[in-house]
Amino acid sequence: MAATHTVSDRIAQANQELTRWEVAAGLALTAGLLIGLLLLQQPLAHDGLHNFRHAAGVVCH
Amino acid sequence: MFRASLRRGLTAGAVGGLLFGLFTALVANPLVGYTESLAHAHEHAPGQGHVMPETVTAAASVAGGVVWGVLLGGVVFGVLYYLTEPALPGAGSTKRYVLAAAGFLTVSGGPWLLLPPQPAGVAHTTPVGTRIGWYLAAAATAAVACTLAVVVFRRLAQTGVAVRFAALAGLLPFGLLAILLVLGPSGTAVGDVPGTVVLAYRGVVVAGQAGLWVVLAAVHGRLSHRRKQRLAVGPNETLPTD
Repeated sequence: MAATHTVSDRIAQANQELTRWEVAAGLALTAGLLIGLLLLQQPLAHDGLHNFRHAAGVVCH
Repeated sequence: MFRASLRRGLTAGAVGGLLFGLFTALVANPLVGYTESLAHAHEHAPGQGHVMPETVTAAASVAGGVVWGVLLGGVVFGVLYYLTEPALPGAGSTKRYVLAAAGFLTVSGGPWLLLPPQPAGVAHTTPVGTRIGWYLAAAATAAVACTLAVVVFRRLAQTGVAVRFAALAGLLPFGLLAILLVLGPSGTAVGDVPGTVVLAYRGVVVAGQAGLWVVLAAVHGRLSHRRKQRLAVGPNETLPTD
């Protein structure tokens, strides 16, 4: 395990460990989940997550 | 190393998410039902509002809580903690609680200054598109304020200023949030839910989210501690089963 003491070291290390596709897939998954949870206004999903949105204080109510 | 970190973040997220799902089921679901019964001027008019039975809504909300926890755990503790850990102030678990506080302020706390959580039965008067825009602006501002706070603290601590003064100075960037209050929409809401109930409701929501972040930080610290112990024993030796 290499000593990593700065943020740029960490970014460089992550760069080495991950392929471009893995990064893209991770970002896409995160964006998808965020949109799904926060921005979805379709009645079915909106209503289904009604109590969750209130419990978490999500602003799109 | 990155993968191991991501795995720890996701595990912490799953634990936090399950607990938050439980919180949703045991506390939030009944509370939402109660405030809804108090309200008469709710945007979902009775009879046509809910397209699904209550049980489905409740179950979906629990599942939503789990996904929420996994998302926060994976992104904030899996990825961001790995990347920013060298720059976070403090040592060991302090770093995790600093990140958790920054996460809470960015995802929830900052935006709530403009758009406080509303109980079911109280409708925002600002349209949803505007609110999402302001949510993103508030989250970005809070993220910038948190980053600046850490930068200010580190700079001052490096120059030999006493830690408590550096920490006080680190609070100054949060003044940026005041800009939001000046520029943002004046948060008006309409509904028949009494003010005290709204206040109690907000308390529960704030406690729920703050609790989720504390659980994330605690479980993540626990997992990393166990990993360190394993590394100390050595990869070729067997661990005592506990």
